[in-house]
Amino acid sequence: MRVTKGAQIVAGAALLALAVAACGGGASTGSSGAGSGETPVRMEVGEPQHALVPGLTAESEGAEILAAIYDPLVNYNENKQADPNVAESVSTTDNKVWTIKLKQGYTWHDGTKLTAQDYVNAWNWVARKSSAADATGFMAKIDGYADLNPEGEGTMETVKEMKGLKVVDDTTFTVTLASPFSQFGLMLGYTAFYPMHPKSWEADGKLTAAAQEQPIGMGLFKLDKAYKKGTDQTIDLTVYDKFTGTKPKNWTKLQFKLYTSSETAYNDLQGEQLDIHDSIPATQLSSAKSALGERYHDDPDSAVGYIGVPLAYNKDYQNADVRKAISMAIDRKTISEVVFSGSRSPADDFISPVVDGYRQGACGEACTYNPTAAKELYTKAGGPAKIELGYNADGGHKEWIEATANNLRQNLGVEVEAKPFEKFASILESLQNKEYSGLFRMAWSYDYPSPENYLRPIFGKIAIANGSNYGGYDNPEFDKLVDQGDQAATADESVKFYQQADDVLLKDLPYIPVYFYRTNWGHSTKIKNVSLNLLKQVNWAAVEKA
Amino acid sequence: MSSSVASPPQSGGRHQKKQNDKPASLWSDAWYDLRRKPAFVISAILIGVLLLMAIWPTLFSSVDPRACDLSVARQAPSAGHLFGRDNLGCDVYSRTIHAARNSIVIGVLTTVLVAVIGGLLGMVAAFYASMTDTVLSRLTEIFFAIPGILGALLIASTFRDQINSILLVIVSLTVLSWPMTFRIMRAAVITAKNQDFVVAARALGAGPSRLMFRHLLPNALAPVIVVSTINLGVFIAAEAALSFLGVGVQSPDISWGLMISDARDRFLDAPLPLIFPAVFLSITVLAFIMLGDAVRDALDPKLR
Repeated sequence: MRVTKGAQIVAGAALLALAVAACGGGASTGSSGAGSGETPVRMEVGEPQHALVPGLTAESEGAEILAAIYDPLVNYNENKQADPNVAESVSTTDNKVWTIKLKQGYTWHDGTKLTAQDYVNAWNWVARKSSAADATGFMAKIDGYADLNPEGEGTMETVKEMKGLKVVDDTTFTVTLASPFSQFGLMLGYTAFYPMHPKSWEADGKLTAAAQEQPIGMGLFKLDKAYKKGTDQTIDLTVYDKFTGTKPKNWTKLQFKLYTSSETAYNDLQGEQLDIHDSIPATQLSSAKSALGERYHDDPDSAVGYIGVPLAYNKDYQNADVRKAISMAIDRKTISEVVFSGSRSPADDFISPVVDGYRQGACGEACTYNPTAAKELYTKAGGPAKIELGYNADGGHKEWIEATANNLRQNLGVEVEAKPFEKFASILESLQNKEYSGLFRMAWSYDYPSPENYLRPIFGKIAIANGSNYGGYDNPEFDKLVDQGDQAATADESVKFYQQADDVLLKDLPYIPVYFYRTNWGHSTKIKNVSLNLLKQVNWAAVEKA
Repeated sequence: MSSSVASPPQSGGRHQKKQNDKPASLWSDAWYDLRRKPAFVISAILIGVLLLMAIWPTLFSSVDPRACDLSVARQAPSAGHLFGRDNLGCDVYSRTIHAARNSIVIGVLTTVLVAVIGGLLGMVAAFYASMTDTVLSRLTEIFFAIPGILGALLIASTFRDQINSILLVIVSLTVLSWPMTFRIMRAAVITAKNQDFVVAARALGAGPSRLMFRHLLPNALAPVIVVSTINLGVFIAAEAALSFLGVGVQSPDISWGLMISDARDRFLDAPLPLIFPAVFLSITVLAFIMLGDAVRDALDPKLR
């Protein structure tokens, strides 16, 4: 579940998507972290939506930071398969009972040994209803999740632990799923599945203040000091010297700089005040290519950009034909080419081309620009005379949102107001609190490379209460098909069911898919060997100072 | 100045314009001076054209400013589109013309509000003196302490979800600008109220409102008019600054500041969509400031 702020937002309720909200804060106030005299490697991020807690993090910015502090059980290779990382092995015979063995030698940043119990504790906490964790949906497949999440508003769980999690010994634990799920092994690389330090909780089960501001991790970097959200403009980290994995060759200090404008960050990158920028704004792409040269990168990306529809909260949009008409009135091709300088491609499916299960042109007529038919359909279906279109002003979205607003205004003959929200986090809050009921910009990048990740986390019923189903879409037929995909015996069969579920979405259009992303990023001359992994997080160990 | 003193006590003709039947009045002198000043004539013509643009934009451009075609974005100027197209394929000329209305409406309304609020309070403070004056003067000092554009930014960003964006710009600029008019009006009224004609009117039994509006106001108005005219240009520039920073006029409304803001990210690729509104903005501000200067020279010969 990851919603992306800038280039990509993906909202997932439960499975793994990180929202890519990327964009950052204002100019930072200098690098206080470089006490030793070493200039840190500096990377652009947006302000995380929540405290630095894995289970609370379902968006790209927080996930980027946590990925430096923690090390995942599995990594994804080029073929989008999971390779064991902290895990020595992840095995199953029936897709229902999974055994996870940890490698020896991992320690927390305070020197304590990492144990299987730390995973079980963390996952149980994420799953508890009282934790209200954004990433809770990732745990929903584990047997016993339902006991921790009783129905009814205000009813809190009485059981504290999922019966599906069993510690076998210090380095082994088993996970029993409520029903077989062939993709579970693929999920384990995501933020929500990080362990948490044993001292993260108060006696009453609440998180300690330290766990939220200065979590003790077990990854490559440890935090230099507590991060005060809303005040601090940088997050400073140092390589953990007892880390057993690969460490960077010739540097030890890392600094995340918080920006509220990706344009500002791009200026800093050019001025060498910033080393890595992973959401270069569309407006700068053409100049970035020439200005950065070999330091400019254009990678395929898992994210899909949508116009979100508040189905459950605004009856104006409840007629599927209204949504279809809006979709047909958007000129995806021209927007991709002119506004994004070709760094996006028009979306024609809910499933991204980077995973199995994508079908070119699946969306058909509904995603094909046809102003005349759109107008006719819109009038017939009685669409609203005024449309609000919300977006976060910190992610470089203004231009395409305005272009979309122009499309709708001209093609449907309606009044359209593009409404900026200060940052990605505020649009998410506003949507979650149901204060805003207009259309909204949304994007989703996967948390693990499976088509399922483009379906349930964003559109499943389970993702409404805690998760990324911001529109409140609820269709039992869709949920059933996704479940069937989960339980299918082979990967091919799974994909078939997921595609059927995708067909339901294409008919209903709970969101309107607009484009598929590419990641446009660049780095300064001060570092080299920079690469992003499949989750669009930097492979820090490989980075070298030039 | 004393020419305006002797208003017959029984006169009910509040609208009667004294300057018309008193050839030697301050106002007619000023008008006589102004007509002969090139700066005034030029700025008046410019303002006339701008006002016409604001009232009747279609006279200048028949293209709909919101008819945009993304496929021709950033097109160079051509016969049908004199200033070319902007980043979203909208006609820059037409948008520049149509933006005049918002900019001028904001400038004029803010000026009027500032003059009325600041002027009234200033007159009341000066007239009643003592406690009233103390309280009002301290209040203005509080507002003076807030740095202008920063304060407007704060107000505009705090309330931007609740109020129409144009109204919000007017309100935030007014809130921060009235103290200046207050001080000028207060000083002018204090000077005027000790003069013989006021004392005479008081002795004849004139009440506070008659004294204020019939005797003091006409004699204290000149400096307020001067400052207001100059401020008008300043307010238009402030609106552009707020819009540029993203808290002023919001799309789909158009303003010069907003156009500049939208065009800046691609300035190197396509400079024209930024340059044209910027030129119009500069000319407008210049015109009002020149007018203000000319009016000051005419009304306040001492400053010349």
